Amino acid sequence: MRWLAASTVVVTLFTQGVAADTFRFTAIPDENQSRLVERFSKVANYLEERLEVDVEYVPVKSYGATVTAFRNDQVQLAWFGGLSGVQARRLVPGSEAVAQGSEDAEFQSYFIAHRSTGLERAEELPEAIEGMSLTFGSRTSTSGRLMPEHFLRQRFGEAPNELFSRVGFSGDHSRTIALVEAGTWDLGAVNFSVWEAAVADGRVDTDKVEVIWASPPYPDYNWTLRGDVDARFGEGFSEKVRTALLEMDDPELLASFPRKNFIPAHNDLYAPIEDVAEELGLLR
Amino acid sequence: MTQAHSRTQAPRPGWLEGRSPGVRLARHSLALVALAVLLVPFADLAVLTRDPWAELARMARGLAWPAWGALESPLEALGLTVAVALWGTLGGMLLGFPLALLFARSRLIRAGCAFVRAIHELFWALLFLQVFGLSAATALMALVIPYAGIFAKVYAEILEQIPGAPRDALPPGIGRLSRFVYAELPLAWTRLAAYTRYRFECALRASVLLGFVGLPTLGFQLETAFREGRYHEAGALLWMFYLLIASLPWWSHRRLIPLLALGGALLLGPWPALEGGLLWRFVSQDIWPPALLEGDWRGLIEWLARIPDLGPAIGNTLLLGLLGSVGALLVALALWPLACRHFGNPLTRLAGRGLLVFLRSTPELMLAFFFLLLLGPSLLPAWLALALHNGALIAFLVARHADAITPGMPGVNATGRLAYELLPRLYPGMLALLYYRAEVILRETAILGMLGVATLGYYIDANFEYLLFDVAFFLLLVTAALNIAVDALSRRLRPRETAIIDDPCQR
Repeated sequence: MRWLAASTVVVTLFTQGVAADTFRFTAIPDENQSRLVERFSKVANYLEERLEVDVEYVPVKSYGATVTAFRNDQVQLAWFGGLSGVQARRLVPGSEAVAQGSEDAEFQSYFIAHRSTGLERAEELPEAIEGMSLTFGSRTSTSGRLMPEHFLRQRFGEAPNELFSRVGFSGDHSRTIALVEAGTWDLGAVNFSVWEAAVADGRVDTDKVEVIWASPPYPDYNWTLRGDVDARFGEGFSEKVRTALLEMDDPELLASFPRKNFIPAHNDLYAPIEDVAEELGLLR
Repeated sequence: MTQAHSRTQAPRPGWLEGRSPGVRLARHSLALVALAVLLVPFADLAVLTRDPWAELARMARGLAWPAWGALESPLEALGLTVAVALWGTLGGMLLGFPLALLFARSRLIRAGCAFVRAIHELFWALLFLQVFGLSAATALMALVIPYAGIFAKVYAEILEQIPGAPRDALPPGIGRLSRFVYAELPLAWTRLAAYTRYRFECALRASVLLGFVGLPTLGFQLETAFREGRYHEAGALLWMFYLLIASLPWWSHRRLIPLLALGGALLLGPWPALEGGLLWRFVSQDIWPPALLEGDWRGLIEWLARIPDLGPAIGNTLLLGLLGSVGALLVALALWPLACRHFGNPLTRLAGRGLLVFLRSTPELMLAFFFLLLLGPSLLPAWLALALHNGALIAFLVARHADAITPGMPGVNATGRLAYELLPRLYPGMLALLYYRAEVILRETAILGMLGVATLGYYIDANFEYLLFDVAFFLLLVTAALNIAVDALSRRLRPRETAIIDDPCQR
């Protein structure tokens, strides 16, 4: 056993030595994931220029896969959701949340409802939602599942599957909107920025589906960087990454995320997310 | 049963009585349908339609006017899909063939093959993803491993069925290898090749599905476009896939295979750096409950107590599996004549074949989403999706089988030909196919968790997302055990007389 462990350590060290040249990152935007490689290769070019190392974008499909890639050192920098960032930083000690979008400091979830439910927008989640059906977004989405579930529990003191007649996971914010608009589900929990963008583009019929409640603000998406990059890419590398992200001002690059600009962040900002995730049993 | 008639001299069996194979099959099938009908009240089949039409119209427009230009490197994705399917099949073949030779002799090999078959390709991919990342290695292993198990079983059955006379005619003292190469392999060759070709089509579908977990095959863009409601792009990708499947007989000619394999090998990638540490961490730590590794038995019991409701999950999985299988049988019965050369005219046959390609190549997840919009969230969309997809697949195989039959009753109209000649000859094989397919249907129930149907697969998927690999792995073992049990049961239930027409080439 010990021999095997020792030899795997040697193998790992060796392969890491080989793979150290290229700095890899990944990002999943919360809406419009078309042409990912094309769009994020531009971000890679920008980072390459600023960091003076080879930078490569790795397209990843789900936050689960992003966390795994980050943990396995297949990417060193990742644009995470609130929860996936917490998961990743727990699995990779020493990693740091280095930046967030200016929108992410005060992120929100909206609860949306089909018109036939007769629900109106209110300051508080109405009692009448009890017994209706609700769809979250993806299971590990902070804005589509974690925080909505937290606020539901806070308000009603019950788990969603006790409160509602049926609970689903649509897998995506756009799909949540489409399904509530079609009346398949009575209610949906959705990322506020995806909703606003869909309304602005006329992709949603607000005669059929409307926002009934906006959640209090919480921190969400963030850039997280592995702690060992200074050792691998040179002293001060993490500071260079942070500066490059904060100084990214090309609207075309920022539109890929989509964010107005990036502002500083640190791990403690996400303590509330961590607490909620533990409470819901999504972290242990 | 015949006792009631014992006083009459020539007992005339009543309706559905008697011992002829046809009647036994009819009884068997009706019992299956009756069981499904009895269990329907336990299934959650609420229908809720409000206004799905706007979204359905968007989907229809997407399929009618595909946006070819909006795709990002579609040819590369297409090439990779074929490359993964081809190398996955080849790898499965290379591993499965030696295993097939030992299959009858070793219980260990049979059990091992049953185990690897029992886990869906997507779940294999999710396992390997943790070690090899998003790489060609993950994609290939996800196909090679379950396919090795399938090939081992089917090849072994084909080899078992070859006539023994040529082998027995050899003079004594002939080596085992020569005997195999000269007296056994040539007799089995066409059927081995036919099965391998069929499995390659399955591999193409699986290769697309691998994109759903993030490997850059056609499914990668297809899933995102569909999920985000960019139906024109999804439509373009679906059309590419339909054309790929429909044109399979032309481009998968055996002389082209080496060329395709070579080209495919160049396309495969990226290759992961071999990281023994990751593999070791995964198999020694990640997939085991922390309490078990620490030897903390009380902790282990607590861990087990926190596993989501296993009973209802197993119940839902089995129920959906059974309903899906019976539905598939009915769909297959209704659809196969559409694509068969003995019925209709060239135009209807073309349409029939097109319909079967459409139904069997559209990923179940998308069919399920369509029905979800139309009928609301319940078990019903999952049931319909499974029944249509698998029913169309069986119909395709049955129609192919029927095409090989030369009808021997002249002057019979089409209905007569269907009812009195073709169906009686095809039905036993169709039922056998259904029993093989039941295993697949059970595996596929797993990937329909999106509908909020809490099957085992729903929880496996959830725990992979929560990165609780130990729970996911445990549930995978439960699923595999369940699959193996159902497989054994269906092998026992499968009507014996089907052996006459039983063609392993179509499993």
